[in-house]
Amino acid sequence: MGEETTSLGGIHISPTAVATIAYHATLQSYGVVGLAPKNLTDGIVSTITREPSRGISVQYKDDEIHIDINIIVEYGTRINSVAESVANTVRFHVEKALGLRVQSVNVHVAGLRISNTD
Amino acid sequence: MTIDTARVEKLRKRPIDGQAFKRLVEAGLTWLRTNQQVVNSLNVFPVPDGDTGTNMTLTLQAAWNEVKDMGTHHLGEMAAAFSKGALMGARGNSGVITSQILRGFSRGVHDKDVLDIPAFVKALGEARDTAYKGVVRPVEGTILTVIKETANAAEAAGGSIKDAMELLEVAVRAADEAVKKTPEMLPILKQAGVVDSGGKGLFFFMEGMLRHVYGESLETPTMQVHALSAVGLEDALEVVEEGQDYEVVVDFVPTGELDLHGFYGKLEEMGTSIQVGEGEGMYRMHIHVPTEKRYEPIDYIMGIGTVTKVAIENLMAQMDDIQKSKASQIQFGAVEPGNIAVVVVSPGHGISRIFASLGVAAVVAGGQTMNPSTQDILSSFENMPTDKVIILPNNKNIVMAANQAKEVTVKKVQVVATRTVPQGLAAMLSFDPSGDVEAVAEKMNKAMSHVKTGEITIATRSVEIDGVTVKDGQVIALLDGKLVASAETVESGTMELLEKASAAEHEIVTLFYGEDMPHVEANRIADVIRGRYSNLEVEVQEGGQPHYQFILSIE
Repeated sequence: MGEETTSLGGIHISPTAVATIAYHATLQSYGVVGLAPKNLTDGIVSTITREPSRGISVQYKDDEIHIDINIIVEYGTRINSVAESVANTVRFHVEKALGLRVQSVNVHVAGLRISNTD
Repeated sequence: MTIDTARVEKLRKRPIDGQAFKRLVEAGLTWLRTNQQVVNSLNVFPVPDGDTGTNMTLTLQAAWNEVKDMGTHHLGEMAAAFSKGALMGARGNSGVITSQILRGFSRGVHDKDVLDIPAFVKALGEARDTAYKGVVRPVEGTILTVIKETANAAEAAGGSIKDAMELLEVAVRAADEAVKKTPEMLPILKQAGVVDSGGKGLFFFMEGMLRHVYGESLETPTMQVHALSAVGLEDALEVVEEGQDYEVVVDFVPTGELDLHGFYGKLEEMGTSIQVGEGEGMYRMHIHVPTEKRYEPIDYIMGIGTVTKVAIENLMAQMDDIQKSKASQIQFGAVEPGNIAVVVVSPGHGISRIFASLGVAAVVAGGQTMNPSTQDILSSFENMPTDKVIILPNNKNIVMAANQAKEVTVKKVQVVATRTVPQGLAAMLSFDPSGDVEAVAEKMNKAMSHVKTGEITIATRSVEIDGVTVKDGQVIALLDGKLVASAETVESGTMELLEKASAAEHEIVTLFYGEDMPHVEANRIADVIRGRYSNLEVEVQEGGQPHYQFILSIE
């Protein structure tokens, strides 16, 4: 996955590139006020890509693309809807740019930011 | 626009307290719901945020449910409850933003008994600020821009305004302007030739309030000027009304700016089914009029512009055809927004009719030899004003396509894996449109297991299965999908089937006769069954399915 062979040669799309698309899509999603560093103890995940500063990790497993996103959500929004819409938006933008199917987008809500209490 | 000035004056004098606010938001919600398909049609992204109009309507509906029984006159309390309801019920991106706008608004008025001008201005400002706080990178040309421009306009006008109604007018006007500007800010909107859907939804919500003040209807969708290519004359034909004998289509170029309100008003005096299309300064008008008025639209339009083309058609001739097809048309129940819609796959016309009478929202044609595609199933419910859908495939070969449809849609879909038509009908009998979609599906699943399905058809080749020998052309009987008997006639096959199903222990048998089965013959066989099983209630229904002489439901 992330690779394609044409008559001219191969195309390889790095997980970092995918993560960049996901990063921008996430930050444009309503309700997301930031990305959280990925928890380093978070499993024995592959060594391929890790962008802790961005809170997004992209893994290619066999023929599948898996994306994990750690977000911080604005306090007072419906977290469920925000997370769902991040998953949708990221999937949409990545699939549109790559033309490949994304197997899973896991959204982890790492925290909330409180700018107003009411 | 006709404005009831006496009403406006009366409302102007009255302070906007909690109850008045409640009536305003109800009007906004009603108006948005009326126009939700218009908003849905503006979606440029196929996936993110599915149907904006539906999401916003459901969000505001949840907000409304929170306040509808509240008796308080305190504005702050009412607004807080409304905002809380929106937060809890927020659906999709646009729903979340809407809930934030309302949250900001309610914060702005939280200690107010009535809505005065400074509070209103402040609340709109808070709404804007709260909405913008929810995102790292606000995208302009969206609903965010609309609330921003609205709040800015209110702030700018705040000092010179006499009452809250006037401020509402300013806000709605600003929102309208902002919506119109969205394509200039967001290239993807411009490419698609639309305005932002969320912004438009917010506009409808506010405009509904204003329409309520003006005493205008909230039930009739706003008139629309379509792209010229989108004026669907075929659709218009379906709504021909009695007495509208002629269809008149006029292409014209107006001299100067066309006053749409006046134009519509004039046309409405002449006839019905009015459609107006516009493209590059060219307009096309479509109308149905009575015989004696058939030249009036042409005369009228000649007065306001240059007519380039006229087409007049006698609808009476076309009506004959329509009436014929109307007789065979099935009326499906309308889906209430937020309720569950059921989509069924039906092999025959009669069966579709029965399903329709049980309250299904749509039927996809398909059966044993004509399996509908995932796309067919998908398109049957994609445009419904709800996101809760139950699919009854009614055939084991279609269960897979139904499950795929569930995969690719953003709606909450449950597939109740009915493998036969009787199972589908049994499931449908326990359907409750307003329940929880999973619980309802569960109940339907249980209900379908109480029915046995028999099928009578003709063998297309010679085989031996499950100990039954079948010759090509013989009548065969299947019980719950298993071959149980072969026979020379439909009658003997049916009797053997009932024997195998231990019909004597059951209560009701329904025979759905297929398209190759004469009605008289079906009734005769029903009588034979009644003769054999005196305690059994036997019903005969037209099924209209191909290939199967009978589908039997044994309960």
